[in-house]
Amino acid sequence: MMELDAQTLLSISLRTLEVCLTSLCLALALGVPLGIWLGGRPFPGRRVLLGLVNSGMGAPPVVVGLLVAQLFYRSGPLGHLELWYSVQAMIVAQVLIALPLVVALVVAAVASLDPDWQLQVRTLGIPRIWRTWLLLREIRLGLLAAVIASLGGILSEVGAVMQTGGNLEGETRVLTTSILMYTQMGRFESAYALAAVLLGLMLVLAGLLTWVQYGERR
Amino acid sequence: MTVALRAHGLELRSYSSDSEFELLVPDLTVHREEVLAILGPNGAGKSTLLRALAGLESPSVGHVQGKSDDRITMVFQRPIAFAGSVLHNVSVALRAQKLPRAIVERRSRDALDHFGIVDLAARSANRLSGGELRRLALARAFALEPAVLLLDEPFDDLDARAQENLSLDLREAVARTGTAVAVVTHDLQRAALVSDRIAVLLDGALRQVGPKSEVLNHPVDFETARLVGMTNLISAELDAQGAAWVLGERSIPTTCRDVPGPVWVGLRPEHLKLDVGRGEGESIGDGRVTAHSSDGVLTTLSLEWAGQKLRTHLVSGRGVAREVSVGNRLALSLRPEDVHVLRRDVDGGL
Repeated sequence: MMELDAQTLLSISLRTLEVCLTSLCLALALGVPLGIWLGGRPFPGRRVLLGLVNSGMGAPPVVVGLLVAQLFYRSGPLGHLELWYSVQAMIVAQVLIALPLVVALVVAAVASLDPDWQLQVRTLGIPRIWRTWLLLREIRLGLLAAVIASLGGILSEVGAVMQTGGNLEGETRVLTTSILMYTQMGRFESAYALAAVLLGLMLVLAGLLTWVQYGERR
Repeated sequence: MTVALRAHGLELRSYSSDSEFELLVPDLTVHREEVLAILGPNGAGKSTLLRALAGLESPSVGHVQGKSDDRITMVFQRPIAFAGSVLHNVSVALRAQKLPRAIVERRSRDALDHFGIVDLAARSANRLSGGELRRLALARAFALEPAVLLLDEPFDDLDARAQENLSLDLREAVARTGTAVAVVTHDLQRAALVSDRIAVLLDGALRQVGPKSEVLNHPVDFETARLVGMTNLISAELDAQGAAWVLGERSIPTTCRDVPGPVWVGLRPEHLKLDVGRGEGESIGDGRVTAHSSDGVLTTLSLEWAGQKLRTHLVSGRGVAREVSVGNRLALSLRPEDVHVLRRDVDGGL
């Protein structure tokens, strides 16, 4: 079905949110601890890992999509999972795109703390779980920046999700892939309608996060 | 006195691309209800020693010993505030201990009140001035009621008045809580004002530890003497009668009856007196004023005596201090028991 009715629009928008928010949560769950570890005390090999993270930030999403697509392709190493052209494969690609951004911004936030911050918390006898909570409070602006940057990146991503999801109607079609499809078909009204929703989503989410960030700075 | 913390046989080495540093502390104790000042110039290893005492640096040899259940807390040279209010900063460690809310509230408020920042409890900690931040760090540490409190240069970024207030607050808090406090400082006046005992650290080595008056008046070697403000250090020859001869012409009476030979004669500025005929001390002849300055409370005179530069302090606005000028000749005296004698060819006092 190529008609863009309200039901279809809602379905595509919800799927977009599902893929992006799930990817973001996973990227944060993996990236925040990794960033805290990398941003802390120096250890052998830290520079190499930081170099990899920085390279990851600049990696073209289409290359990430290619790698994930090949991984899940029927004859690929994880082909038996039958995840090629699935929402799960799209999420994996999105996580790989967002992860370096999250890690790098958390590393920067942790590294900007006073070098004695962690030692001060330790000498106050604060238990580990509380220390982690205090650290997350301390780097909250960096975390918000990571969320905004990652969300912006994955919400507007098209190449990798097309390669891993395939733009299957009712299954893996999201806002960006739909816009691409309608543009190729010359259905510019539909493409613009979808673009307006995508922009609206980005504005609402980014605005919300910026408001929280601004409130923190005051 | 009860020992709260003891460092024994401590050796700590650190290497960087362009330098090598070694800290050697044979024995150092911090007692309950006392303030120990660790005094030394920049780069002497004071902060490294404090971190070792806090367990943040691992010595290659030796150990730091305290009671296993005693809490050791440290306040760093740059006071660190956590994100949130002043009250949050003071109470967070207490809340983490799962203390009842009423106790957390009372101890936090008491500590803030004691350091004069209870009115700032609701303010965001990152809006505090340097002095307020310093007070917050101290209040946070005292609220924990630690057995040992380690303070790294706590008087930095405070004006003279705030330094004095902080010294008094600290003494009061120690008397109230019985906490053992070790304070690292490069400021002799602060060390003298706040401490019961002084430990002198030079080039990573602990040179002397003892009661304040002992260290100030009887430093163990020339470098320690200079560090503890014994600015009058004169090269002399000691004779069998205890007279120290300067250039073979003028002598300084001492109580030292050791083997004659080359010595350093040390005299604190406050122990060099103007001889105004009251019979205080023994006369050592005239000195010529070469410079003078006053901070409004004390006037410092530089004098030339027997080819040596000497220094003395007078109370500003009184007696000679009112009318002294460069070139004046003033009669000087001292008490032999105030004179400290150090062997000139070996390190160590007689």
